[in-house]
This record gives sequence, C-alpha cells and structure tokens, in this order.
Amino acid sequence: MDSFATIVSVIYQFATNGAFLLLSAVGLIVILGMMNIINLAHGVLMMMGAYTASIAWHRNVPFWLCVILAFIVVGIFGAVLERAIVRRFYGRELGALVVTWGISLILSQGALAVFGPFLPAIPIPGGSVAVGQYSFSVYWLSIIALCGVLIAGLWALYNHTTIGLQARAAMQNAAMAKALGVNTDRIYMLTFSLGAGLAGLSGALFAPTVSIAPFMGQQFVAPAFITVVVGGAANVITGAIGSSVLLSLVKTPIGFVFGAFVGTVALLFAALIIIRLMPDGISAVLQRHIDRRNRFA
Amino acid sequence: MARVPHILKLLSGPEDIGRSWWFWAVFIAACVFMLVYPRWLSEFQATNIAYYLLNVPIALGLGLLWGYSGVLSFGQVAYFGIAGYTYGIVAGNMVGDDFGPIVGSLCGIALCAVVAAIFGYFVFYGRVQNWIVPILTLVLTLLLETFLGQTAGYQWCVGSVQLGGYNGMTGIPGFQLGSHVLMGYDFYYYVLISVLVIYLGLRLLVNSRHGKVLLAIREDPIRTELLGYDIRARQLVAFVLAAVLAGISGLFYVQWGNYITPSQVGLLQASLPVVWVAVGGRESLLAVLMSTVALNWLNYTLSSEGYQYALIITGALLVVVMLFFPSGIVIALARELPKCGLFGRRKGHAA
Repeated sequence: MDSFATIVSVIYQFATNGAFLLLSAVGLIVILGMMNIINLAHGVLMMMGAYTASIAWHRNVPFWLCVILAFIVVGIFGAVLERAIVRRFYGRELGALVVTWGISLILSQGALAVFGPFLPAIPIPGGSVAVGQYSFSVYWLSIIALCGVLIAGLWALYNHTTIGLQARAAMQNAAMAKALGVNTDRIYMLTFSLGAGLAGLSGALFAPTVSIAPFMGQQFVAPAFITVVVGGAANVITGAIGSSVLLSLVKTPIGFVFGAFVGTVALLFAALIIIRLMPDGISAVLQRHIDRRNRFA
Repeated sequence: MARVPHILKLLSGPEDIGRSWWFWAVFIAACVFMLVYPRWLSEFQATNIAYYLLNVPIALGLGLLWGYSGVLSFGQVAYFGIAGYTYGIVAGNMVGDDFGPIVGSLCGIALCAVVAAIFGYFVFYGRVQNWIVPILTLVLTLLLETFLGQTAGYQWCVGSVQLGGYNGMTGIPGFQLGSHVLMGYDFYYYVLISVLVIYLGLRLLVNSRHGKVLLAIREDPIRTELLGYDIRARQLVAFVLAAVLAGISGLFYVQWGNYITPSQVGLLQASLPVVWVAVGGRESLLAVLMSTVALNWLNYTLSSEGYQYALIITGALLVVVMLFFPSGIVIALARELPKCGLFGRRKGHAA
C-alpha cells in the first residue's frame, strides 16, 4: 500500500508540472502554430484573465463561471487587439514580437495605475484527497483533468470542424488556402482570439494559486516560452503535449531534489540542448513521424 | 600611414546615415561641444548626462545585432547584469588595490563573452528559427533576475562582497586609473570618450567586409551561406560582440551609481534597449545613439513625475513607432527631411 501511494504521488508530481507547463503555454502555441508569431503580451493576457476572475468571484459569481468569463473577456480583447494592431505585422515576426511587447508594457503598467498593486485573492476551491500517507489537492487534480479536456477539445476543433480544417489549410499554405476561398483574415482573427482566450483561461485557473498582481504574468512566461520553443510550431497539439511531457520529466525530479528555481533553470538548459538536436521542436519530429506512418498505411 | 584615407573612407561608408561633409562638420562640432559643455554644468548635472550616455553601448550592440544582423535579443540586460555583478564582486574584493577596477572590468567583460558564446553556440549552431533567439534570451534574463533576487543573506557572498538579494549589491567601487578615482567631471569624460570610440569603431565594423557579410545574412541567409560564408560563426561573433557592449554599459552603470539590483535584469529593464533601438531606427548606429540619449533623458525627466506613467508612455511610444515608423523615427526623418528641401540638397543627413 505504501509503495502504491508513493507511485501515485510521483505521478501526481509529474502531472501537475506537465499541466502547469501545458496551461501556461497553450495560448501561445495556438497563435504561434497559425501565424508564426510569438505573442509577448501572453503574460499580460494571463494577468487579465486572473483579474477578470478575481473581480467576478468577489461579486459572488461561482468559480467555474469566473473561468469561462475570463476566457470570453480576454478572447474578445484578443480579437480587438488583432484587428487594431497585430494584423499589420503578419509576415514580420520580429516586428510582431516587439509590438506585442509594447502592448504588454502599456497593459501591465495600466493595470497597476487603475487597480493598484494587487487584487483580492481567490481561495483554492476544493479540499484534498488522501492516498496512503499523501494528500492531493482536488483543485490540481481537476486542472490536470481539464488539461485533458482542453487538448481533446482543441483536437476536435482542428480535426472535426470546418473552421479547423480551414485553419490547418491556412497553416500549411496561406496563399493556396486564400485562393481556394478560405477567408484567412477571419481565421487569423479567430485564432488570435482563441489563443488570447486560452491565456485568459489559464490565468483564471492559476489565479487561486498565486497572488493576483499586475506583473503576475512574469512567473509564467519563462516556463511558457521554454515549452513553446521545445514544442515548435509544426503541430499545435503534438507540440503542446510532447513538450510539456518531456519538460515535466526534466523539471519534476530536478525540482524535487534541488528546489523549484533550479528546476526552472534545468528547463532552460534542456531547451538549449533540445533545440540543438531538433531545431524546429518536438512537434516537427513527431509530425515527420506521423507523416511517414500515414504514407505507409 | 597610407591606411588613414582608407579608414576615413570606410568610416563614411554607406551603412549608416550621415555621410556628407556637412554631417561630419556637425558631428565634430557636436563632439567639441560635448567636450566643453561641462564647463557650464555642475558636477551633478554632468553625472546625469553621463547616465544618459552610459546606456549607449548596450543599445548600439542591440542595433548591430537586430538592425544589421537580423537577430533580435530581448536579453541584453542579462549581460549588463552579469558584467555589473562580476565587476562588483572582483573590484569589491580588491579594494585598496589600484588595479582592482581594471581587473574587475576585464573579468566582467570576459564572463559576458563566455556566457554569450555558450548560449549563442546552441542557438546559432542549432539553426533555430528567427523567433527563438529573442524568447530564449528573455528567459535567460528572467532566470538571472530570479536567481539574483533570492541571494539575500550572509551565505550568499563571494569573498567579502554580499550579493544582497532584492536589495542588490551596494558599495561597489568606482573606476580608477592608477590611484585616481574617476568621479564627477572625470567620469563624464571617461564615458563620453568610450561611447565615441565605440560608435566610430562599430561604424568601421559595419562598413568593413565583416559588416557586409552580416548585412548579407540579414537579407538572405541561405544565399550568403551558398556564397561560402559560415553564417553560424558570423552570427555568433555578432552576438558575442553585442553581449560585450551590453556588459560595458553594465560596468559604466555600477561605476556610476556604485550599486546594482536584480531589477536591472528584470522584464521592464529588458524592454528598454529594444525601445531605444526600435524608436530611433535599428538600421542606423547614429539613430540608435541619438534615440538612446534622448529617451533616457525623457525617461529620467518623466520618472521624476511618476514612474508608472513613464513606462506607459514608453510602451505607447514603442507601439506607435512600430505601427507608423517601422524603420524608426530618426531614419524616417533622415529620409524625408532632405526631400522637403529643409536642408538644401544634402542626402541622408538628419539632426
């Protein structure tokens, strides 16, 4: 029984780290995969999600509704951002990086000016369950489960809807998709909005576990960027899963022995070594593998 | 001595704005003015101007990297911090020794070069996509900030110097030549002359063969490679050089204020060099130099009103410039003003 509980505990550690990385990065990966743009305002969008959740929760909105609200509010904001600014930078990756960075400066400082240095916290919903001598947070268990739902949802969206089909077409060859009548402009807007919404969603989900402040996004951006770099842009879903699983395998044992900070440093080193071996990320390698198998099937 | 005309011709080569006789006359006049200007300033004002100037090397390095080589880095402040902290540790442990500051400076610059070379090896020799370099450099600087932030307490000291956690390292010795400590006016001249030498040196570099190869890589990496150049090594060299320049700014900073805190390598500080370079115009060293001094002055003036608004204005400036003057304000002026006839028929000259 003892060893069973230990195994469960180890799996739990890996899964929480993986879920953390996946959730931090998923919004970024969705945008990157479509437009080859890194959204440096990602951390700030997560902050906006947490702010939305905190404001709603303290107006007695149930927590699950706060999370959905954060997704919708930040998603709409993302659509506005895309129409007003980001769309002028398609094809200029570095320009897009810099301009989203400028946006994040304005928004985080603006949040500081409007809301002050912090917002009231949200208590962690749910209690804990015990297995053997270990106890596990119900909240983190549901976040892990939610990650699975999220990935399944994204998979269904990309593979079983017309929009998803058009999105994949635009990813592969935008000019061709446009020639075949796909409204790529609309696809780009929806994708950016989806990516922003997912950032807001993860911000809201992380809100109970951290202090809600204008610069709270900072603590997520480093792991999120590493996850994206390792995952690559070739395939959103394999990239997100592959990279968060692999990095969790690095971070969990090192973080357990040497502490959380060294765990994050190890992520950076892992990323450097991985890009030396697979410059386009795990998703490119997996994609090649899938393509080859499909050809023989 | 036969090389002197050659060097002058190279200095006035096509890869920076400002090549006419007029420009050089104005440039030399400006230099002379900067040299005699402190006569009318208090020592305090001269030190302030030295502060605007000390950020020029990090910006010029980023300009070289981003504008001329096409590699964007968000983590130049990491090297700024590495050099500053290294100088603080080495010079702080050699207090009383006249050579302490010089040894400290050399160690700081060497460490910057080593870190940049290791980092650059993985990035450039992996031939990663364009967007990965800025992301990973940003992660590097964020991790450095986190690391330095948790170094509070007596166990975090090197020799007799404490790292100091979020309060930072204090009491860092100033720069000295022999037994003469450079302060006030002397420090102003030390920074001014270093900045001029760095600017002119970089201008020589971008107009030299090596500079042309960097430009070629920016325009078309594959074609450059097919012409027989090792683009990985060239980009790595530019990356290391930019890191060293950022380190020089870090050295000036700790020698100027005698302290450094982890927030110097934080997210907000990391954004500033990118803003200076983007606003001035990344494809001209002169534009970068001018906008760096101007924006530092602006930021200094605004922050006495209230720092939070200063950063909102900085961010707004960045977005507006990226939207309406993608090549930078100074470059846009340099292109447009001669057409308006304001400056007669001089070409490629602004300010």
